[in-house]
Amino acid sequence: MLRALYWRSEILQLLYWLRGEGLGDLVDAPLLERFLGVDAGTGRNHLDRLADEGYLDRDGQWFALSARGLEEGALEFATAFAELNRPAHGECSADCWCHVSAEEATACAAERQEDDRR
Amino acid sequence: MSVGSQGARPVNPPAEHAEGALPRSYLRPCLLLMLAEGPSHGYDLLEQVRRLGLRGAEPSALYRSLRAMEREELVSSSWEMSGAGPPRRTYLLSDAGHRALHSWVGSLRDVQRLLVTMLDRYDNLVEPAATSRL
Repeated sequence: MLRALYWRSEILQLLYWLRGEGLGDLVDAPLLERFLGVDAGTGRNHLDRLADEGYLDRDGQWFALSARGLEEGALEFATAFAELNRPAHGECSADCWCHVSAEEATACAAERQEDDRR
Repeated sequence: MSVGSQGARPVNPPAEHAEGALPRSYLRPCLLLMLAEGPSHGYDLLEQVRRLGLRGAEPSALYRSLRAMEREELVSSSWEMSGAGPPRRTYLLSDAGHRALHSWVGSLRDVQRLLVTMLDRYDNLVEPAATSRL
């Protein structure tokens, strides 16, 4: 279970990275092997599992982020963003509600972004 | 048989041959140096690495190096949100990364001294022979 979670995170992060750098939206098992060092057979199993779970869309040997995969990314970006900005947030302290869960951190980050816009 | 006895001094090999002579892990000190100069993104780092002599550097090698350096806490990264386009990962050098760069530079200076010694000896071997043919 932990292993599956680890690979889900690694593969999704790679897809976000490739996308952010303008290096493409599609991955296959050999690409996974080159970037993550996981052998192609095992990599393919991880890709299939992520497609079955709805994080990736499958087209033959190629896989791309699905709407759900992108949503997962948005959560991660917001959480990372919250982590970076936490010290500057006047109301955010060690016992702030945003530490309770990733979802709360996302909401906290969104609220602070809204504050910044005003 | 001396090198000089084989004829004219050999021309410099193509620049891509030099890449093969670089230390196997040369990518890492290059990345540390670039991040010491300032935070950066993956593709920008790749272009800079290629300008530092690793013309054949691949995005996959860059990604793996950056992930390894993150695990070793030499660099940290965060997603940079952008109004236009998808978020990009920004990499920053940590204090440990600065220390690692310093250590790498020390090792590379040692290699530089060894190379200069070897090249001086080579020049001493070749140049008298080349001069005698004039």
